[in-house]
Amino acid sequence: MSVADVSLRRAGEVPVERAPRFPRKPKGISGRSIAIIVFLTICAAFFCVPLYIIITTSFKTMEQVREGAIFSLPAPFTLDAWWSAWDTACSGIRCDGLKVGFWNSMAILFPSLILSIALSSVTGYALALWNVRWANTFLFVLFICAFVPFQIIMIPLIILSSGLKVYGTIWGIAIVHAVLAMPFLTLVFRNYYKGIPQEIMSAAMMDSGSFWRVFVEIILPMSGNILIVVLILQITSIWNDFLLGLTFGGLGTQPMSVVLANVVITTTGEAAYNENMAAALLTAIPPLFIYFVLGKFFVQGITAGAIKG
Amino acid sequence: MALRWSRVSPQLALTPALAITLVAFIGAIAWTIFMSFTRSRRFPEYFFDPAEWSRQYERLFKDDGWAIALKNLLVLGVGSFLAIVFGFILAAMIDREKRGEGFFRTIFLYPLAVSLIVTGVAWRWMFNPSFGLQNALHSIGLTWVNFDWLSRADTAMYGIILATVWQGAGFYMALMLSGLKSINSEIWNAARLDGVSFWRLYIEIIIPMMKFTFLTCAILMSLGVVKAYDIVVAMTNGGPGQATWVPAYFTINAYWVKSNLGYASAAAVIMLAITGLIFLPLVLLTAWRERAREARAT
Amino acid sequence: MPRVQFEDIIKTYGRVTVLKNLDLEIDDGEFLVLLGPSGCGKTTLLNLLAGLLDVTAGRITIGERDVTDLDPKDRGLAMVFQSYALYPTKTVRGNLKFGLASQKIDGAEVDRRIAWAARMLQIEPLLDRKPAQLSGGQRQRVAIGRALVKKVGLFLFDEPLSNLDAKLRTEMRLEIKKLHDELKSTIVYVTHDQIEAMTMATKIAVMDGGVIQQFGTPDEIYSRPRNLFVAGFIGSPAMNLRAGKITNGGGTVTAALDGVTLDLGRYGFASQPADGQPIVVGLRPEHFGAPGQALADAAGTFSLPVQYTEKTGGDATGYLKFGDGLIAARIDPEQIGRFRQGDTVDVSFPQGKVHVFDAVSGARL
Ligand SMILES: Nc1ncnc2c1ncn2[C@@H]1O[C@H](COP(=O)(O)OP(=O)(O)O)[C@@H](O)[C@H]1O
Ligand SMILES: [Mg+2]
Repeated sequence: MSVADVSLRRAGEVPVERAPRFPRKPKGISGRSIAIIVFLTICAAFFCVPLYIIITTSFKTMEQVREGAIFSLPAPFTLDAWWSAWDTACSGIRCDGLKVGFWNSMAILFPSLILSIALSSVTGYALALWNVRWANTFLFVLFICAFVPFQIIMIPLIILSSGLKVYGTIWGIAIVHAVLAMPFLTLVFRNYYKGIPQEIMSAAMMDSGSFWRVFVEIILPMSGNILIVVLILQITSIWNDFLLGLTFGGLGTQPMSVVLANVVITTTGEAAYNENMAAALLTAIPPLFIYFVLGKFFVQGITAGAIKG
Repeated sequence: MALRWSRVSPQLALTPALAITLVAFIGAIAWTIFMSFTRSRRFPEYFFDPAEWSRQYERLFKDDGWAIALKNLLVLGVGSFLAIVFGFILAAMIDREKRGEGFFRTIFLYPLAVSLIVTGVAWRWMFNPSFGLQNALHSIGLTWVNFDWLSRADTAMYGIILATVWQGAGFYMALMLSGLKSINSEIWNAARLDGVSFWRLYIEIIIPMMKFTFLTCAILMSLGVVKAYDIVVAMTNGGPGQATWVPAYFTINAYWVKSNLGYASAAAVIMLAITGLIFLPLVLLTAWRERAREARAT
Repeated sequence: MPRVQFEDIIKTYGRVTVLKNLDLEIDDGEFLVLLGPSGCGKTTLLNLLAGLLDVTAGRITIGERDVTDLDPKDRGLAMVFQSYALYPTKTVRGNLKFGLASQKIDGAEVDRRIAWAARMLQIEPLLDRKPAQLSGGQRQRVAIGRALVKKVGLFLFDEPLSNLDAKLRTEMRLEIKKLHDELKSTIVYVTHDQIEAMTMATKIAVMDGGVIQQFGTPDEIYSRPRNLFVAGFIGSPAMNLRAGKITNGGGTVTAALDGVTLDLGRYGFASQPADGQPIVVGLRPEHFGAPGQALADAAGTFSLPVQYTEKTGGDATGYLKFGDGLIAARIDPEQIGRFRQGDTVDVSFPQGKVHVFDAVSGARL
């Protein structure tokens, strides 16, 4: 048989290379394709115009902004607006720029990331892979909680966090982020862990049987992909959050987006549009950076929101 | 009897989540509902007067601001539907012409990475009548263009809708694109062989095949519209006057500005009810989808 | 009814050439099966004919028409897809009707055709159901019906039975064959299943690596495989292929393999083989004589130990140890019970059934 296999492999009749008798010109791009690409390009322009305008405006001087040519390129090109947005822009009565907000957002980001991912991954794991009798009921409740408008729980949460002496602190905001993200993230983790083959769980149960050891040694190493997706989802949503920061942030502990809104909205006299645009860009850079570097995971993260049965 | 840790550990691990659900969600919702039936103003009052249980709601529905907020909710909902339609068109185009798929997808989706506050700030600047788009268009001779939408009560909502569509269309595009890609490629081939026209193919075959995707988009969109707050703050801060108030804005305003806890609670309860109305089809949709999948499996 | 002609077809995807200078002519009314292992380019060839893909070079004619540049809908053919590709949002009737969408046919004629196809395929009771409410076999019939109503002379099938279970597959095989007999249309049918090919085809084109290895009637393909690939691919259990050497001395040609000498005196060599030429000899398991029984025109007799035996209902195969490999021989299932592992059996092989291939080129000698 081995002989036959060897011979079979070279058994195919290979024709000698020769010029085709009926050559065809490579087909040019069709009219319909051109129409579609033109349409998509126009749409892409629509999506890019705002970005172009905030970028160019942020590098202009106020004199140039006042000329009213919004599409013109910056001349002279200046970083002044960026510096003042970062360092001296006024929000309300304070004039120390976005830097305070930036560091606040950073300080909120890390604890709430750790809290929310730890809490929801363990919960999702317990619900997906361990026999908890009321798991389905709980999941349904979480499903509903994930879509509840914030306003319906806002006031009790304010009262509760005041009672716990965390209202108006960085920690308060971080904890509220973790709490509010818990239902949705738990569902995401649960759906992911549900996809782990039952055999792996059975084998792990026989070998160890300990809830935490199975989680740390078997499940967590298998969660790389979903952890990145959730991480990106959480970083962008915490960074971009406005409402929680506004509600639970005190003076000096507000995250960047709240400071940005204050800078832009509460201006007295003529607005410094170049500074506003620089401030907006400063706020948008971290999530945009993540988007352009880790786009694939970002898309997975946002479409994870489109409930999978 | 020995304690079976394999039974207890998972339940133990679930207690924080359970506690949060009971306190921060169920308890908090119940508390807010209760507050909406009291006369609480700056601070919670736990006295419930059965004769006057509905006074906050009666006030609410006499309030012009609330009427505007509800009307705007509807306007925003209808307007945001454009984002779904637009998203579908983009997805269909990208799917037909595979060239440049990655490039276009990246561009259509990037607004989603940007916060609504930034989006609002950017569009607010473009709507600026003296230095923004309007001025640029006037200066090239298109003097009939009126782009000063945000400062007029009757057009301000359209400005918000435009920014919302700009921000959200990419999301629906992504969902629609994955829906389109899940359609069996032989269907497209069969249609080509049958010589089915472009319009008939999409209207009679493709769109009906994607009804789940459309419904999911519509429901997610509606839930998002009920929550709309940031974009309004960033673009108009509710103005001019009360022209761009929405329920989310109204509720927060009632608590922080009017300092009326009971009133804000009543508004929040209505928001919850609206969410429930949207949510019901979502639950049914999930069940329906499950059934359809089972039917296909057999 | 049309004749189909492929002339010097080349198809490349990027830098990969999938079809290489392929020529093929299908006569009017033929049932042609494109047979080959997965990935050999069968679907590509079919899609080129349908117009779903564009050729890189070459010409395709249907009847007298050069269709190379025509749209699929203008080529006057119908196709049945592997996954059926029924429109899930339309009823069976809607599916049949939709297939006629581009043709200007009046309503009465459409109804007549649907009734005709439905009767032919016995799907009349299903006309108002949606595809999701049909079983696999029923969907298959509807897919065929959608092709039938077009009343074209050329039907294309791409592995239409591969999603059905074994029993239904046999049924549908007969049914498609019957349709061909009734309609007298030309059919091009793609499959990787040699049973389907052997039972249905009037002509088979065996493909491998984007090249047609042999084109002929099922009988020709079976009894005179043109090269080693076809020899090894057709037949189940597969043909025994053993390397050996030609001995050509004094007018008698023999083949020596692993100690056995086969008399090739009456083999129809195309040209006289050279002495010592390396060859591969092909022996079909089903052509061995009964164990212990000497054939009159035997080319040679093998005396080999049994390694194991295999019984499949009405048939049985003995695997005999030969050199460093095995040789399969069909054995009467009534008798096979007698053989134990290690027993030595004598089987002889008839001269007229030997196949000889050049070991270097793989071509039949
Ligand atoms: N769109 C494509 N791009 C690149 N390679 C392709 C494409 N379609 C098919 N191929 C390659 O062409 C070869 C032949 O494919 P196909 O005709 O589908 O084979 P078959 O139908 O015989 O199984 C395969 O090796 C396959 O990988
Ligand atoms: Mg194929």
